[in-house]
Amino acid sequence: MGQAWLISGSPGCGKTHWILNTFKNHKGSCAYIRLNGHSDIDLEQVKFSKIDSAFLKDHLPHLIDVSNSNKSSISIRENTLLLIELPQFKLPSQNGVSGIDPRVLHELEILKLQPNRYLHFGRDIELPTKDTLDFKKIESSNLNLQGCVWDPPSLNTFWFELVNGAYGDVYRAKALMNLPDGRCMFFNWIVSQQGSQYLPLNGVAPLTGRPERHSEIVIQGKNLDFALIQSTINHCLLDDSVLAYHQASLKSSELQPIG
Amino acid sequence: MNQAVISCLHANLPALEAVLNDIEYLGIQNITCLGDLVGYGPQPNEVVELIREKGIQTCQGCWDEDIIDGLDACDCSYPSQLAEKRGHFAHQWTTDKLTNENKEFLASLPTSIRKDKCLFVHGSPNSQHEYLLPDMDAFAALERVEMSGAETLFCGHTHQPYIRELTNGSISFRIQNASSKGIQEQQGMDLPMRRIVNAGSVGEPRHGGIKATYVVYNDNTCEVEIREVSYDIERTCKSIIESGLPPIFAWRLINGFEFAEQAEDASHVCER
Repeated sequence: MGQAWLISGSPGCGKTHWILNTFKNHKGSCAYIRLNGHSDIDLEQVKFSKIDSAFLKDHLPHLIDVSNSNKSSISIRENTLLLIELPQFKLPSQNGVSGIDPRVLHELEILKLQPNRYLHFGRDIELPTKDTLDFKKIESSNLNLQGCVWDPPSLNTFWFELVNGAYGDVYRAKALMNLPDGRCMFFNWIVSQQGSQYLPLNGVAPLTGRPERHSEIVIQGKNLDFALIQSTINHCLLDDSVLAYHQASLKSSELQPIG
Repeated sequence: MNQAVISCLHANLPALEAVLNDIEYLGIQNITCLGDLVGYGPQPNEVVELIREKGIQTCQGCWDEDIIDGLDACDCSYPSQLAEKRGHFAHQWTTDKLTNENKEFLASLPTSIRKDKCLFVHGSPNSQHEYLLPDMDAFAALERVEMSGAETLFCGHTHQPYIRELTNGSISFRIQNASSKGIQEQQGMDLPMRRIVNAGSVGEPRHGGIKATYVVYNDNTCEVEIREVSYDIERTCKSIIESGLPPIFAWRLINGFEFAEQAEDASHVCER
């Protein structure tokens, strides 16, 4: 019989990175699922984001993504550690698994999952508290950017403007964004940190057509102008002809003999 | 006698008014403008008309040229696709707003003005689009001044005010050709001190702050002072938003960032 832990916390507290490190230190199989979480009054959750699972899958190719499993056949084998990620703003009312929100319990029952441990950022001392913020009001939105490729200097400008408040008060932003050279970058920012984190994923897309892997941006904050964000993003994305030009240039430079 | 040099007004009327007030307060009558009267900012007609009304000697900037001749710079003169989209929008907006009379005025401007041993240009003596950055190669900088035949070259375009003295300049070269049978002939010459003075920007500062900048030059002592002037930046930002220009211009201006980013290779000159 394996272990199933429920890990919850507010946006940007470090759930996914803690999960990644925990998996890296685990000797057996690793399984993962992310729940949507539930919005509360003035506290809006991001729905159906796949950034975290795509990020973890890139770092841990053998990770079992339970959300892709047949719901009736989810079983945790011996030595398997299943981590269930749950975005949650408010502190659980009780310690341990008895503090699981009834709405989440219902979801877990449907998935036939029964956590034997429940940790919440800001409550349990096993977890870091540095970026655990107490949000009073937050708007959330995520944009699916599948197949989109960014002009790199435009991405740099957009991200700078975004996290510095040009489109409203952003508290939390993260994204997986494709570059014309086939790389995908993980951008990560929380208002409590000085700067952004930029991590290239290990997987590199072929220099042909548009990448098929997951790409998305999640933005959370207050008084956000999502229409302006969307129109600015549209100005940053490469059209087919420009992307083909970049890919052709990169391919020809790869063919050049060294020295 | 003191004279004032202003540059890169970028249709920012409150900033221009504040700078002209400061110049008047200093009792300076002689003003030279290095161009870019329009572009990005919300009051192109008002700025051009104020320059005309005051009879300020002005040379043509890259924006002034592009408004008259159409965009002639290649895409690579923009640092990003986003900057290009914003720049093109501002170009079209300015073209639509500017009266024919003011366009004719911009078209009539010279690309350089010479006063005694001083040359006044927007970018460089070579082009309105060329940036003379404060840290550009000393030999190239000296070449720009020397070839223009000036002792002091006044420029703008970078929006960063600076004074650069080029001292101890010398050029030496060796000549070897077939007829000299391997004997190298060495020649050289020492160059007197030359200066580049960048006037910064009235309407779109890029010196880390939000104050308008310009310079005061004393043609007797050759002293140069970079002046920073506060202005009603919120009035400019309100005008940007009310005029239908992208609100991001207001956000960038009030936070001390230029309307569009500076190119990484700012010394690039479009040759297309």
